[in-house]
Amino acid sequence: MQRRKFLTMGAVAIGATVLPASLSATDFRKEVPAAWDAEGSHDAIKALFGDIKPTPGKIKMKAPKLAENGGAVPIALKSKVEVTTVALFQDANPRSAVVVFELANGGVFDLKTKIKMRKTANVTVIAKGIDGKFYSHVQKVEVSIGGCGG
Amino acid sequence: MKVKAKLKKGNVSVKVLAKSPMAGKEEAAKKKIDVEFITHMRATVNGAVVWEASTGPFLSKNPYMQFVFNAQAVGAKKGDKVEVNWVDNTGKTKKGGKKIK
Repeated sequence: MQRRKFLTMGAVAIGATVLPASLSATDFRKEVPAAWDAEGSHDAIKALFGDIKPTPGKIKMKAPKLAENGGAVPIALKSKVEVTTVALFQDANPRSAVVVFELANGGVFDLKTKIKMRKTANVTVIAKGIDGKFYSHVQKVEVSIGGCGG
Repeated sequence: MKVKAKLKKGNVSVKVLAKSPMAGKEEAAKKKIDVEFITHMRATVNGAVVWEASTGPFLSKNPYMQFVFNAQAVGAKKGDKVEVNWVDNTGKTKKGGKKIK
C-alpha cells in the first residue's frame, strides 16, 4: 500500500513539471495533493514544482512589515516577467501552501489577495515563467494578532 | 460574490470578493463549524480562461482576489462579461460575473 502511494506521488510530481505553457484547467489540489499537506514551505515547493533552483529578485512583493490582523494579511505580487504559474507559501500555519494562481495568455503578473497568518513567519512566492525558469521571493511578515481562528 | 471589472489602458483589472468561511480542519474544530473552503476559482471572458487559482484554507475569510489581464489577448471589450466560478471542498459550486466597465 505504501509503495503504491509512493508510486502515484512520483507520477504526479512528473506530471506537474511538464505542464504545458498554454493554459490548461489544472486543479492543483487534485493534481498534487501532497503539496497541500506539506508542513514547511520547502517541502511544499518540492512537492509542487520538484527540485528547483529559483532565481530571486525578479518579483516584487508588497506585504505589511507588521500585520495587525493575522486573519487577513494583504499580499500584492507584481513582476514584469511573464509567468504561467504563481504559488504562495507561508510558514505560519499548520500547512504551507496557500494558493496557486494560473495566468492565461494575456494574463499580467499583478495579483493581490489576503491570507491568514497565525504568527510571524516568512512568506514565499514561487513563479514559473513562460520560459520554464523559476523565480522566487521571500519576505518576513510580522503578525501581532494571530489569524487562523486564533 | 462581488465582482468588479474595469478596462484601463488595454488591461482589464478584476476584483473578486468571494463569500466563504475558508475554515480548514484546525479552525473548524476550534470554532465548532464544518470544514468549508474554496478549492478552485476560475475566471473566464468570452469562453476563454484568463485566471485560475487553486486555493487552500489559509486564504482570509471571505477571500479577496485581484488580477489583471490583457484585453486584446482574449478579445475582451467594454460590456463583455467576466464570469467567475468556484468550487469548494464539498463540491458545491458558485457562479458570479460582471460586465467590463
